[in-house]
Amino acid sequence: MAASSRRDGGAAGRAKAERSAWVLLTPMCLLMAVAFILPVGLFLLYSFYRFRGGRLEETFTLETYWRFMTDELYLITIYDTLQLAVLATLLCLVISYPLAYAMWRMRSPGLQKLIAFIVFAPVLVSVVVRSYGWTVVLADQGPVNFILTRLGLTSGPVSLVYNMTGTVISLAHVFLPFVVFPILASMLRLDPTLREAAEDLGASWWKTFRSITLPLTLPGVVAGAQICFTLSLGSFVTPAILGGGRVLVLPIQIYTATSDINWPVAAVGGLCLLVMAFIAVVAFGRLSQYSEAV
Amino acid sequence: MSGTVELVGVTKRFGSHLAVDAISFGIGSGEFFSLLGPSGCGKSTTLRMLSGFEAPDEGIIRIAGQDMADVPPYRRPTNIVFQRWALFPHMSVEANVAFGLEAEGRPRAEIRSRVGDALALVGLSGFAARKPGQLSGGQMQRVALARALVKRPKVLLLDEPLSALDLKLRHQMQIELKRIQQEIGTTFVFVTHDQGEALAMSDKVAVMNAGRVEQIASPQELYDAPATRFVAGFIGHANLLPVTVDGVANGLAMVRLGDLHFAAALRETSIGDMPSGEAILALRFERVRIGAGPAAEAAGAAGAGVARATGVVRQMIFGGASVQYVVGLDAAPVEITAEQPHGAGAPVFAQGTPVTLSWEPADGRLFKA
Repeated sequence: MAASSRRDGGAAGRAKAERSAWVLLTPMCLLMAVAFILPVGLFLLYSFYRFRGGRLEETFTLETYWRFMTDELYLITIYDTLQLAVLATLLCLVISYPLAYAMWRMRSPGLQKLIAFIVFAPVLVSVVVRSYGWTVVLADQGPVNFILTRLGLTSGPVSLVYNMTGTVISLAHVFLPFVVFPILASMLRLDPTLREAAEDLGASWWKTFRSITLPLTLPGVVAGAQICFTLSLGSFVTPAILGGGRVLVLPIQIYTATSDINWPVAAVGGLCLLVMAFIAVVAFGRLSQYSEAV
Repeated sequence: MSGTVELVGVTKRFGSHLAVDAISFGIGSGEFFSLLGPSGCGKSTTLRMLSGFEAPDEGIIRIAGQDMADVPPYRRPTNIVFQRWALFPHMSVEANVAFGLEAEGRPRAEIRSRVGDALALVGLSGFAARKPGQLSGGQMQRVALARALVKRPKVLLLDEPLSALDLKLRHQMQIELKRIQQEIGTTFVFVTHDQGEALAMSDKVAVMNAGRVEQIASPQELYDAPATRFVAGFIGHANLLPVTVDGVANGLAMVRLGDLHFAAALRETSIGDMPSGEAILALRFERVRIGAGPAAEAAGAAGAGVARATGVVRQMIFGGASVQYVVGLDAAPVEITAEQPHGAGAPVFAQGTPVTLSWEPADGRLFKA
């Protein structure tokens, strides 16, 4: 009797818990419906419309998709978008891993906090201000070129701005915290006795790093890379300012298309971005599954 | 003693805290040596200094005759079995055990055969391909042991490796560890806070307290002849009674506890240069005999020098194989615990029963108060 009533109470409690979970999820579901599913549906619809002579015609056509797959302009844009995301992610990783490792091994908590703040600082600055800042720093007459020339590393100024190089540098700068902190978190989760055990068994620093530290912090690397890659795909202001018109990425193209009321092109461009981001998320997910399984 | 491990005046401080206070001792080759003490007594720090993860502030550590001062952990002839085993979670059992040999750059064929031998030694031959996450606690323990032993260390260091196991498994692993140690003849240095574990496995035990070594002896010697009051209280269960020594006669100390007068055997080591005054008498639970009421007093009156005290059972704790009685004495405001084997016609005394306690002069040990 007592047992059965308790079981009933348990079932009722579970149902109640489930209801309150749905209540908590409602705002998110509403937001997703209005801000994501609805626009994607509309874009899907627009992508099949015809745009001719500066006017939108509501007739079904696959013309825009065909142009995206064959027209060189769109292919270059897709290629540039991917190139920018890949390069920014790689640069971010190359800087972040040693940085996170240094922060992890650091004995002074004060210094650790200071470095964390410096890494985080670019996020606090407006993207427009930061981008114009980089154009000044990387300009032909800017401090970076001055130092490079003075050190005799280059004979004349290297073009670092209004091209892919400057855009990648600036993106890596702002996305650094999104990569550094996941990696640092995975390092802090690492059981310190594992490294001691490796050392006790005669492993050098390099062997310990290669076979223990790196594989066990790979999930953090994958998580950071995933965030950096998807954010880079959607970046607009940075390539617009630092690309100087030479970095053709999908977000810029979508922007131009919407100002021309060319909804079909904007829609297909947007769907293109969505597919790329989706593929990236799946691929990184696979990678992190693998890195956790090993 | 050939002295595989030698510590001379080894001291370690953490800030102002003196973790290890000028300890000196030697460990013989092939010995199963335990460092026993309560948590914070410095036993783990001592082990970490032997492994090289901590450097002593003062003193010398020699292993196999060589000064270890500037030798990093990865070059020492020691290997550790860590408390939580620290197996590499992303590697198979085989890769875990092979790790140390790969670090040495051994040929592949040698690694294969040595890893196979090590896994056979710990009884895990069929588990080579498993990941640590797929093993039980006892199996992980064995992998950690194999991983350290495969390196053929001169000294194997074990940092409370059994403390994470449940009781049954712990007993099983104690026997297993002892068997392996005897089979390979490596010197084992075993850190534990569990006195039962230390007594059961060790050839020699160093009892540590507050950074100092209280006594180094065989388990039997520790039990029968504790050198200090701390050891007497830490090893086994003992009543520590505040007594007054009135004098010495015929190698016996005349001792007073409240209104109770009795004799206690005097040992040079136990009382030192202080034959009179306040002292502590350590009396093991199981050395105190218990009999029913004042009748027993008359019956046993023949025994010369036997201490005898009447009292009332305040508490009876039934432990299966034995029963403990906490008895409040009539002659003094103290409680004495007596432990009796259960069964074989031994009477059981309920709470409130008047009883007589008795013990031989040789059963008690005197220490400075």
